[in-house]
Amino acid sequence: MTDLTPITALGAAKPAEVSHGSLTLTERPDIGLASLALRKGVTCPEGLPAAGEATDRVFWIGPGQWMIEGPGQADSDFAAQVKGDFPGCSVTEQTDGFSVVEVHSHDGAAAIEALLAKLVNIDPVALAPGCAHRTALHHMTVFVIRRADDQIAIIGMRGYAGALWHAVDLAARRLES
Amino acid sequence: MLIPHPLLGLRDAQEFTYLGDASLMSRPAPEAGEAAFCDYVFLRDNPAGVHRELWFHEQGDRSWLVVTRDTVTHEILGAELASDYARSSS
Repeated sequence: MTDLTPITALGAAKPAEVSHGSLTLTERPDIGLASLALRKGVTCPEGLPAAGEATDRVFWIGPGQWMIEGPGQADSDFAAQVKGDFPGCSVTEQTDGFSVVEVHSHDGAAAIEALLAKLVNIDPVALAPGCAHRTALHHMTVFVIRRADDQIAIIGMRGYAGALWHAVDLAARRLES
Repeated sequence: MLIPHPLLGLRDAQEFTYLGDASLMSRPAPEAGEAAFCDYVFLRDNPAGVHRELWFHEQGDRSWLVVTRDTVTHEILGAELASDYARSSS
């Protein structure tokens, strides 16, 4: 059988990682994603985040809709696992549709907020830890999650992974100079 | 321009796309006849002043909103989810 080498959304065998000043960008191809949607008449399962919010593994994407993250589970049937956790809800595999870029600051919240101010039309201070929004970044639709004071995740369409990486990388590089 | 999204707070108008008059939500019954559908499809009020209109949060949570806007000053007076609006007006 042909020996195929899996590559990430950015086209390399290993996930990209780069540092500019206090910011480190990391590609996270290991995160499995599955969306969860409530069906008509089904009561909302407990523990799911409210509008505009995120918990450790789940973030809100629209009325009655959430995205579930599974770090390290991209190569497994993550949707099937989520389906088992939320019987009666509609679960769709999303791992292959998106690409995750995480940005970590070694210098506190200020660098992250400066980067957000360059990239998205959302108040960076109001985007506190535990908030998640879908918005536009360079005309691409993205989810922005504030994981912590000094960490954000930007999840964009996989086909635009290169453009998304370029946009975030360039903004971080300009902040450095 | 900022639109006060009922779930997410103030959001940039660039994230939204505009559909038109909110009266599009009150579609005639299937048996209402050709004249009623002709009015529904082609006739619109063109008010100088307060106007209710449908906006889609396309680059956001993808919900439909009914936005109340003053067409003279472009001031946005309020916004609610179209699903809530439909329930309250039916």
